[in-house]
Amino acid sequence: MNWLTEPLAYPFMQTALLTSAFIGVVCAVLSCFLILKGWALMGDAVSHAVLPGVVLAYILAIPLSIGAFVSGLASALLIGFIKRRSRVKEDAVIGLVFTAFFAFGLILLSRTVSDTHLSHILYGNLLGIETDDLVQVIVAGTLTLGTILVIRRDLLLFCFDPNHARAIGLNTAALYYTLLVLLALTIVAALQAVGVILVIAMLITPGAIGYLLTDRFERMLLIASAAALVAAVGGVYLSFYLDASTAGCIVVVQALLFFVAVFVAPKGGIIARARGRRRAGMISVPASG
Amino acid sequence: MQLWEWLVTPFQYEFMQKALGVAALVGVVCAVLSCFITLKGWSLLGDAVAHAVLPGVVVSYLVSLPLAIGALITGLGAVMMINWVKRNTRLKDDAIIGIVFTAFFGVGLILISKLPVLVPLVAEWTGRVPAQLDVRAVLFGNVLGIADEDIIQSVIVGMLTLGTVLALRRDLLLFCFDPNHARAIGINAGLLNGVLLALLALTIVVSLQTIGVVLVVAMLVTPGAIAYLLTDRFDRMLLLATATSTLSCVLGVYASYYLNASTGGCIVFIQALIFGLVLVGAPRRGLLAQSQRRRAAATPTVVTREASAGSQRGNP
Repeated sequence: MNWLTEPLAYPFMQTALLTSAFIGVVCAVLSCFLILKGWALMGDAVSHAVLPGVVLAYILAIPLSIGAFVSGLASALLIGFIKRRSRVKEDAVIGLVFTAFFAFGLILLSRTVSDTHLSHILYGNLLGIETDDLVQVIVAGTLTLGTILVIRRDLLLFCFDPNHARAIGLNTAALYYTLLVLLALTIVAALQAVGVILVIAMLITPGAIGYLLTDRFERMLLIASAAALVAAVGGVYLSFYLDASTAGCIVVVQALLFFVAVFVAPKGGIIARARGRRRAGMISVPASG
Repeated sequence: MQLWEWLVTPFQYEFMQKALGVAALVGVVCAVLSCFITLKGWSLLGDAVAHAVLPGVVVSYLVSLPLAIGALITGLGAVMMINWVKRNTRLKDDAIIGIVFTAFFGVGLILISKLPVLVPLVAEWTGRVPAQLDVRAVLFGNVLGIADEDIIQSVIVGMLTLGTVLALRRDLLLFCFDPNHARAIGINAGLLNGVLLALLALTIVVSLQTIGVVLVVAMLVTPGAIAYLLTDRFDRMLLLATATSTLSCVLGVYASYYLNASTGGCIVFIQALIFGLVLVGAPRRGLLAQSQRRRAAATPTVVTREASAGSQRGNP
């Protein structure tokens, strides 16, 4: 018990736990839509592409979120443009554009920003988060959750079956851009917790866990949020006791939960299938005799 | 005259000669492989392997092994884990790849953050204190200070990769372009899959020092994509990719020297600029050529039926 309560005595740990839990839930909700839509790579791309925006915002002394948001969105639009206008495969276009953005960010960084800031941008700075950053996290996160809540039915249909969505008269182009904006907003919020390079884990793994464990979307949302919550809190504790990278700990706990889900998934999980095979084996014995 | 000085001055330094040589080698090896990777659609897998080498690099640094060995083990380990999860779940490939490589990278970050504790521990065990690990060089590349043993390692691994690719060129091409056909004419597709994966991992190991794990994927995608916009013939694609990639690597080292910025960032950014130029100006598929064609296509709407029939006949 002491193990759980001791870190809570520190104010910075209270803030870190609450922030990571909040970010975890926001990411988890969006990740359910991204998993259905198959946008894992897009998430990876946008999360890397925020780097130059962050650095420029730092140079211009405006909130980092704004810079991150603008350059993340710009990369997504550029990817869409090049994909439409050339014959290069989508995955190659995505890889090309986000590395270009990231490289540009690195060049800017080496001219301006100190090493501490660099590491905060790349790996997050949950244990030392400042009030300004916290406000940005809450604004971006609440905006994302609110929007998703309002248009969740349309968004779900768009992710699951865009043709059907178009057929019943939904504006799929608007939904596409809304989802992009939500993605960029979520990444802005999650940057603070885990940094540029590992944001993508927060945007895929919870949704994947939910997807493995249930067929119903509401349950998927709940399971994903719960898993993200456990990983966020568990990761912060782990990082406190190991004195190790917070981002690394959160992501590794998430991955462990994912592997548990691979084993225990009710349909297609490894345990379920082994049991099914055994049952099939038992039936086949009397049939052959 | 000034440009000449700009180009020649760095050559006086031995470290710059080494850096330029290694960068050119990296450019060639990556370019050749990127032609196959872009055809096969393996960009995301390349990104995953590149990130997944991180824990291997840290561990082999700790126990004073060549970084390439650890990198190869965890890189290929990640691929095996991706395949295992793919067989056992209904998730899409891109999601699985993302989950696995971030998990590996996360472990790498934890190890890095624990280096101050781990290094003395290992030193006590083995009695050998490992030299300083330049984490930023591993992540973002820094070829300017490359050590001689790393150069030797890069040359050996690079030659091995190039030799294998050139020897298996035809089979690999068919496998990337049309695996079913490859299987039909009796090529062992499973084996080639493994070979290409190993080549991918080796290439990443070669470019680790120069580009860094985060941006390696650009070297595996961009040269192939540039060449693919310029030609339909694979031989020419290989040549064009090699030329642009080597050029960007060499220019990138110069830029990194003059700007004092990470080598990986400079090389990748220059390469992306070249892609941008090609995307706009490529002779047949460029944006300019496209819009010209559209304008040309818009004019004949007033032309008589005979003329349009003629143009259709001329257009198989």
